[in-house]
Formats: sequence, C-alpha cells, structure tokens
Amino acid sequence: MATELDRYLRDIRENLRLDPGEQDEVLTELEAHAEDRLEEMKEAGLSEEEAVQRCVGLLGSARVVARQIYEAHSQGTWKQALLASMPHLIFAGLFALKWWGSGWLPVAMCPVVATAVFSWGRGRPSWLFPWLGYALLPVVIAGLLLLYLPTGWAWSTILLYVPLVLWLLSYITIKAIKKDWLYIGLMLLPVPSFVGWFLAAQQDAGFAGFSLGTLNHYALWIGLTSLVLAVSAAVFVRLRKRWLKTTVLVVSGLLTLGMVAVASGRLSFPVFLALAILFLISLSVPALLEHRLRHSRQPLTP
Amino acid sequence: MARRQDLMKGNIDTLLLCLVNQRPMYGYQIMKELEGRSQGYFRFKEGTLYPALHRLEKMGLVEGRWEALSGGRQRRYYHIRKKGQAALADKTAEWQDFFTAMNLIFRPVNP
Repeated sequence: MATELDRYLRDIRENLRLDPGEQDEVLTELEAHAEDRLEEMKEAGLSEEEAVQRCVGLLGSARVVARQIYEAHSQGTWKQALLASMPHLIFAGLFALKWWGSGWLPVAMCPVVATAVFSWGRGRPSWLFPWLGYALLPVVIAGLLLLYLPTGWAWSTILLYVPLVLWLLSYITIKAIKKDWLYIGLMLLPVPSFVGWFLAAQQDAGFAGFSLGTLNHYALWIGLTSLVLAVSAAVFVRLRKRWLKTTVLVVSGLLTLGMVAVASGRLSFPVFLALAILFLISLSVPALLEHRLRHSRQPLTP
Repeated sequence: MARRQDLMKGNIDTLLLCLVNQRPMYGYQIMKELEGRSQGYFRFKEGTLYPALHRLEKMGLVEGRWEALSGGRQRRYYHIRKKGQAALADKTAEWQDFFTAMNLIFRPVNP
C-alpha cells in the first residue's frame, strides 16, 4: 500500500494507546475503509498518488481520529474502577484498624502480589497498576531493612540488591510505558504520601528507634490518604479523556502529600516542595520516555 | 457549515443506530449511505465515524462482527442489539416530539 497511507496508519497506531488486540482491529478496520475508498477513486479515474492523498485528507487528522477512538475505549467499567481502588482500600483498612504493624501486612500482601503477577501475564489491564505499585512495596521494605544489617554485610548485599531492583523496575517501567505512560503514574500514586509518612514517623522515633509499627501513630490519617487514593484510582479508570486522567493523578498525588504535611506537622516546606517536585518528575519522565520510545522506532507496517 | 457539523455531532448516534437497524453495515457502507440518502448533507471527516461506532459498541447498543471477504480481506459489520433498538425508539420519539414542536412554532398564528 502507498507510503502516505502507511504513514497515516502508523500515526494512528502510535497515538491509540490501546491493548494490542484492540489496536490491530482498529487498524484493520481503517485499512479496509481506506482500501474501499481508494478503489472507488481509482475507478473514478484518479491516479494512485492522487487517490491516496485525497483518501488521507478525507479520513481527517490521524491524531484526532486516534484520540477519539482512544476516548471511545478508555473508559473502564465500574467493576474495573472498583478493582483499581481495591489495593488502596486494603491498605486503608490495614491502617484504619491499626493492623499495619501486627503481622497482618504479609497476609494483605499475598493477594496483592498474587493479583499483580496474575494480571501482568494476562494482558495488563488498567486496573492492575495500583496493585503493581503495592506489590513492589516488599521490594522497597527489603531495601530499607538492608540498612540495618551489620556494616560489612550491608554494603555487599546492597551492591547485589540495587542492580536487581533497578533491573526489575526498568523492566516493569518499559513494559508499562509501551502500553501507556499514564499507568506508571497510577502505579506510583501512593509513593509521595508513603514516603512522606515514613519521613514523618522517622522524625518521631529517630533512625535507630524506627520500626513499621511507628506508622501506627498516624494510622487514621494514613487510612484516609489511602481512601483518597482509592477514589482517585476509580475516577481515573472511569474517565475518558487523557488530560482529565493526568489531572486526577497530579491533584491526588499533591493532595495526599498535603494531607501528610498538615496531619503530621513534621514535613517542613522545603521537604514538602522537594517531594512534590520529585512526584511531578516521576510523572513526567515516563511521558518523555514514551515520546522517545515512539520516535526511535523504525517505521511500522500496520 | 460549522452549525451543520454541530447538529450532526448531536445526532450521530441516532443516525448510526437508524442505519444499522435497517441492516448490518460496515463503516464505509454507513458513510456512503449517510452521504447518499441525505443528498450530501451529512458529510464529515471519515475517520471520525469509527470513534462513534466504537462508542456505541462499548455502550452495548451495537455489535461489530468481522466477516471475511475473498482475497483475505475483512470487513467489520455492525449489528444492532436489543438495547440499541430500545435506545433508537427513545431517540426517534424524542426527535419526533421536537420536530412537531418546532413545526407548531414555525406555523403562522391565525389572528
């Protein structure tokens, strides 16, 4: 098929951000439409080149068509919205009931990790990403616990652990970005508030006296921030437009961080600002990476 | 022209449901029918037809089914569903009420 039409369909593919199966169906349908149109134009006496140019013009802007098709597909069901909010609700429950430091954390982590691993291998639906964020929590906690090992052991273990974690995070990030960079934001949503709570609790107990149980001091507030995150994840899944989804991520990340600052009274303004900037950077980097990944790919034949 | 596009935008669902209610159709065929039967009044960027069809499908009003043609080509025919027929009946009644009310206003009043 003519190159200009190939380029048009490739532009659509690059801006669709749908599951591979859905994406292929959309492109096959548009290609069939273009073939019908080209056939008609050639029968009317137009040259191949003229026909392709007119056909692409009649189809309309690739970006607009891709955006509208994305919006037709991007709204999740209420069931998917509930699934996306579930891990946040589990953690809200853990804290609201003050079960965080009393052995219930591993019990809660089992279904979270199992759901994340199971759904990762089954098409990575949008509701998976909040589960994935929490499933990575043991990785972070294990990393923090390494700091408490005897001096010689700590360094050698960290030298092994850090590259392994970086590899795991890069693998997940690249796979998620190939689907849609917004999912990285959905996955990282609890990070600013959780880091904020850890910092606040550590200031209360000091580095040596800090344990996971120290967080129980802020249990109700942590429960409340998790509830806000649960609502945000559900709203994210239900929204159609990308700019609204992005706004939900930014607002809920900053709102929960603000809640940490107000409730704990332990985050100074510079620390709050630094966490907010880090959160915004962590949202922007996947967007930039996605842009680079898309533009570095070889031309595709749809 | 912009006003016509706005009118079209507000009624595209009804138009599409009405056409696929008559018989299952594929995208290009729907576009030709719209253009032909309206004597060129309903003309729009062709690519924007598919978001509307996919939205109706997501709402459970129509169902797209692939049919293979000779030469390995495929076409996606849209079939109306029961929910779509009910929605079309509602929209048609709404449109007829509106049309009647407009006519009553346009009609000159007898002194």
